[in-house]
Amino acid sequence: MGGVVKPLIGADLDRVDGIKKVTGAATYAAEVQVANVAHAVLVGATVGRGRIKAISARAATAAPGVIAVITHDNAPKLPGVTEKQEANDRLVQGLQDDVVLYHDQPIAVVVADTLEHAQHAAALVTAEYDAVPAIADLESDLGAAFVPDNPKAPNAVSRGDVAAGLAAARTRIEVRYTTPVETHNAMEPHATIAAWQGASNLTLYDSTQAIFNVRRRLATMLGLPRDNVRVINHFVGGGFGSKGAPWSHVLLAAIAAKVTGRAVKLVTTRPQMQVFVGHRPKTVQKLELGLDGNGLLTAMRHDTTSETSRYDQFIEQCTGVTRMLYACPNVATVQRLVRIDVATPTFMRAPGESTGTFALESALDELAAAAGIDPLELRRKNHAGHDPETGLPWSSKSLLECYRRAAEAIGWSRRPAQIRAMRDGRWRTGLGVASTTRSSRQLPASARARMLPSGRAVVQAGTQDIGTGTYTVMTQVAGDALGLPIGDVRFELGDTAFPEAPPSVGSFTAASTGPAVHNACVALRRELLDRAVRDPASPLHGLSADAIDVDGGALIARADPKRRDSYAAIVARSGQPEIAVELHTEASRSRGTFSVYGFGAVFAQVRVDEELGEVRVDRIVGAFAAGKVLNPRTARSQLVGGMVWGIGQALHEHSVRDPRTARMVTRDLADYHVPVHADVPHLEVILVPEDDPHVNEIGAKGLGELSTPGVAAAIANAIYHATGVRVRDLPITPDKLIQS
Amino acid sequence: MKPVTFVRPADTRAASAAAAATGACVHAGGTTLVDLMRLEVMTPTTVVDLGRLPLAAIERRGDGLEIGAMARNADVANHALVVERYPLLAQAIAAGASQQIRNMATVGGNLLQRTRCPYFRDLGVACNKRTPGAGCSAQGGFTRSHAVLGTSASCIATHPSDMCVALVALDAIVATRSGDRTRAIPIGELHTVPGDHPEIEHVLEPGELITHVELPASPFAAHARYVKVRDRAAFAFALASAGVGLDLADGRIRGARIALGGVATKPWRALEAEQLLVGQPPSRAGFERAAAAALAGAKPVRDNAFKVELARRTVVRALELAWGAS
Amino acid sequence: MSSLRTPIAVGTSGPSFVLHGDAGPPLSSSEARGRPWVLAFARGFTPRDPAIGSIRAQLRGLGAILFVVSDAGVWSFRPDDDVELSARASPRLGREIDELAARCGIAPGEDGVFVIDEAGGVRFALAPSDALASRLAEALAAAGRELLGLAPRRGVTRREWSILSLVSGFGLVLLASCRPGRAERPAVAPAAATGGPEIDVVLRINQQDRRLRIDARASLLDVLREQLALTGTRKGCDHGQCGACTVLRDGRAVNACLTLAATAEAAEITTIEGLAEGESLHPLQAAFIAHDAFQCGFCTSGQIMAGVALLRDGRAKTDDEVRQHMSGNICRCGAYPNIIAAIQAARKEVSP
Repeated sequence: MGGVVKPLIGADLDRVDGIKKVTGAATYAAEVQVANVAHAVLVGATVGRGRIKAISARAATAAPGVIAVITHDNAPKLPGVTEKQEANDRLVQGLQDDVVLYHDQPIAVVVADTLEHAQHAAALVTAEYDAVPAIADLESDLGAAFVPDNPKAPNAVSRGDVAAGLAAARTRIEVRYTTPVETHNAMEPHATIAAWQGASNLTLYDSTQAIFNVRRRLATMLGLPRDNVRVINHFVGGGFGSKGAPWSHVLLAAIAAKVTGRAVKLVTTRPQMQVFVGHRPKTVQKLELGLDGNGLLTAMRHDTTSETSRYDQFIEQCTGVTRMLYACPNVATVQRLVRIDVATPTFMRAPGESTGTFALESALDELAAAAGIDPLELRRKNHAGHDPETGLPWSSKSLLECYRRAAEAIGWSRRPAQIRAMRDGRWRTGLGVASTTRSSRQLPASARARMLPSGRAVVQAGTQDIGTGTYTVMTQVAGDALGLPIGDVRFELGDTAFPEAPPSVGSFTAASTGPAVHNACVALRRELLDRAVRDPASPLHGLSADAIDVDGGALIARADPKRRDSYAAIVARSGQPEIAVELHTEASRSRGTFSVYGFGAVFAQVRVDEELGEVRVDRIVGAFAAGKVLNPRTARSQLVGGMVWGIGQALHEHSVRDPRTARMVTRDLADYHVPVHADVPHLEVILVPEDDPHVNEIGAKGLGELSTPGVAAAIANAIYHATGVRVRDLPITPDKLIQS
Repeated sequence: MKPVTFVRPADTRAASAAAAATGACVHAGGTTLVDLMRLEVMTPTTVVDLGRLPLAAIERRGDGLEIGAMARNADVANHALVVERYPLLAQAIAAGASQQIRNMATVGGNLLQRTRCPYFRDLGVACNKRTPGAGCSAQGGFTRSHAVLGTSASCIATHPSDMCVALVALDAIVATRSGDRTRAIPIGELHTVPGDHPEIEHVLEPGELITHVELPASPFAAHARYVKVRDRAAFAFALASAGVGLDLADGRIRGARIALGGVATKPWRALEAEQLLVGQPPSRAGFERAAAAALAGAKPVRDNAFKVELARRTVVRALELAWGAS
Repeated sequence: MSSLRTPIAVGTSGPSFVLHGDAGPPLSSSEARGRPWVLAFARGFTPRDPAIGSIRAQLRGLGAILFVVSDAGVWSFRPDDDVELSARASPRLGREIDELAARCGIAPGEDGVFVIDEAGGVRFALAPSDALASRLAEALAAAGRELLGLAPRRGVTRREWSILSLVSGFGLVLLASCRPGRAERPAVAPAAATGGPEIDVVLRINQQDRRLRIDARASLLDVLREQLALTGTRKGCDHGQCGACTVLRDGRAVNACLTLAATAEAAEITTIEGLAEGESLHPLQAAFIAHDAFQCGFCTSGQIMAGVALLRDGRAKTDDEVRQHMSGNICRCGAYPNIIAAIQAARKEVSP
């Protein structure tokens, strides 16, 4: 028997799935060894808008090894494909008609016995079209912009009197920023293996962040009861929002499996991943800011326009940060959409905040420069002590501490106020700052906790691990709740046969599934305790619950530690193969009276070669506060990863469509640049401790997306400080710096 | 990919004969061929693998160096003789691609690599290089990565090689064999500009195999530099690059070499620019004049106009660094 | 049906499978995770064979699972002594079984036995194509019974030995109850790979010779993943632009996606599965865990293989040099700083 047990939550532990990942044993969707699987390859449209006049599968069908070629001519009719049940559902294309909505839209599926046979046959499918001009860029159709109706989250919001506030300002700026189309490009291509049993049972091994979404959507589209669809995915090779909803390929894999009577594996290609698995839409953002003589904001107006498809609606919520991040009585925000001929965009890591903070935090820097105030001081002066949008108090906020600690770490006090004042040999250097924030929500979730006769526990929830460390963190939560060492707990996820949990998006998982796992384990421990005290054969018989502690897999009478009953013994005496509890957890009620956000401060140091236009990030220091940190190691990795995303957003990422046709020109990873090793210096993360009793049972806010917003602005601000050049259109590539 | 028949000849004569057949392509490192076969941009029915040919040696030849066509790029860049006597070549190779690709790619393959133009690589759009007469989809489209030198109305695709820029600056000779016939082609004459026939990229006959590259003795080793500007710090093609060498004596430039990458339809030697430097003392002003001359014939289009200024500055930077090197 | 097939060899990973059949829940080999198990193709098998009974009693305490593929369907023998026909014979199940058999190197209708240990490695493989005819089975069965009384071999615990002996004995008894063996299949003649559209090759993967019939177009990556079930080498882009497919070819980092498998004969290929030595991780694998040098894990195999090559080469030393040299391996999760830290930490233990 030991002394005080060190809690697993908060401990800096190796990931429990580490061995699998470093030995190649982790199995991603396309790697599940489904017997007798056939291979499917998609054929894409080569016009951007119109109709398929004719499509010929003859040569493809005759090619070696081909089992079937499915087009809109012979695909099963599925009325459910055009139904949405929830606003965030994405409509997909399932060969239901001859309409072409975007270039590269799937217009046929070729199924063959080997991948080589399928790839070759796909190139033999030909189509003729009636095409009409397609619009590639929202800026060529701004006149058609509209403000979408959304009673739950209005797209035109104002408080106070912005016009008066601007008129009263001593310093005023009006600036325009753009952020480009970006694509998620997770390392693992979207992939699905579909296997039917009988006419109406379907198993999907699908690379997804949202197994229950996939189940619900595929059941709807295929006209099946939900319980007939099972989705399994134990490891996801990254999602970043692109795997939060099932896209066309999932449906097409299921259709191909139905038509051929075989299990079918469909792996998307990189060009397909640039087009129809979601993207971050382009934004055009106009900001007007006013500042009085004391450095206080008098007014903020933020007007954004972004793109969506012609057949569905997605809004990049850029203006949320402007309404809540700083204290300002007069704020007006508008979000508009333009429909163009592309597939529907979707959430991409820190949706809304990453694009909105680029504009807001750059604009604040421009305002500070115009007013002659230090940009960090400007932010501190306008710090909001409560949520200015709702009037609610923050559940917790440590932004001022984040500023302080990160500023000290990067040496902000040695930063000259003037621009173009720092050099390192041939390079000009500069320092920039930005705030970051990300809302934190808690969704309902369920979990099942099972105690086995060995005294080991298996805890199950239908959540996902997209690299965030869910396996590890949930094992820690469960271990602490059950009083078990980490080696005696196995956490399982990724199967719709497990209790339902939310998608791994929105940084929800720690804050939603964490409490559910905790509560289920606490309930299991209670169940075991109750059996023991009721059981005359137990050394704990007759004791009251609050006289019993738990440690190392045993329940122990506090007053007499020799009286103890192990979990293993309790289960053995029950005569059952295991004792299990399944529990549903709703969102914490105390959240409703608070505004819950994570906050952070990001400081960037850059060097710029003015002659050649090259930028190198020397250092980024980010200080972040997001409530209880469940595992500092995985937390740091998440936050570092988010900052790498910010570097890519600032300097590299740009999905380009041909302006004449709307066909994607950047079709692979050679043309769509994400940061590589050489682009990323040592990145410093400061975890600011924060105790938040209101957010949920375990005090965690979630931080998967907290470190991306603000990084692009901090880099742009640093470039301005180094060179005096203000770039307002991302990404900041050499051509933009040498042309000024 | 189309189905293929695979042959692995044991000697160069057999390889040349196999490669001359209709529908045959040679396979060296595979980094161009397999990439383009998978896109069905190249569609051979026979793949002639050169892996058994004894063409990988890197050795002295008189005052110069002979590099076998099957020598891996990484081996060339790391070879002591190359590092010591042709540092420009080592720098250029090291600036290209990735560790993995440099380990796979061969000298011969690098010489004959194809453009990275996204319209060439996309079967969904028209391309004169793939299908003569079909039209050029790049012009009028997104042309940020396209060429400003050596272009024509049919094609503006950039030659993407770094290694070739250095070889062009170093007066390399490309030795070939076709059956019993051998030739020695000065590298400046190996590649062709698109003109009216962008589908033709070099002067080799069907079945004519590159066997090795000869580098003459070079006076530029002490003052040479390859500068490459790109959109990220590694693993990206050049927005503009310059490979230069200076032969300095008595405070004057006795000889100069200036070659450009990332901006032309073939590896580009700037002869007039070199002539402007000869006899002059090295100076920034002189370098700027030479750089301007190197880009004098540039024909930018809407998205790549920045390349003209960027390439000039890259040439100046390379010359300054070469001058300072010792 | 594809004629691609390759035998499962002792020391490699056991054949995992999911059989869907036409009804009932899918039958998955992952049920056996963490215990020893047997996959037996015994077409004429029924559970009523008297010798089975006593072996079953001994297996009960060991928690082993046995899957027996017979003409009636697939039988499962579970540790709680539950015996059931987990998947009933049907044309569709038949096709799935044929494909699984092919993956194990067994022709349709032939018999064979594979014993996989707790860690998922193949410990015993017997297929008639290995030229062991049924008249040998009796001798082997006797030998199996003898194993139970022998001391364990070096490196094997007593418990492991007992388990393996028992399951081997069981497997051999099964084999003895099978139909008589077939004529030997002619061995594939080692050839310099030529021809098409399919060719025979011998690839040396992780120090093992694998005889394969491949599509001449097939990349080494697709052969590894689709034919050899070595899925640790990942496909991220299929065009040499991301490095997720990095393997070592004669010790050098290369992209398996741009390598035509037909050109890889006579090369020594090392994949991530071949890096660890038995139970001990390569120092770089251990460093990756210690430094949290991964998140989603998809690029990790490639990062590690490229890192091993870099360390063995010895040229890249400083952090900046390592970053430049590793830039052919993209990580979208952004684990870059920890990857560099892991490589530098492992440097002391991996000499050029």
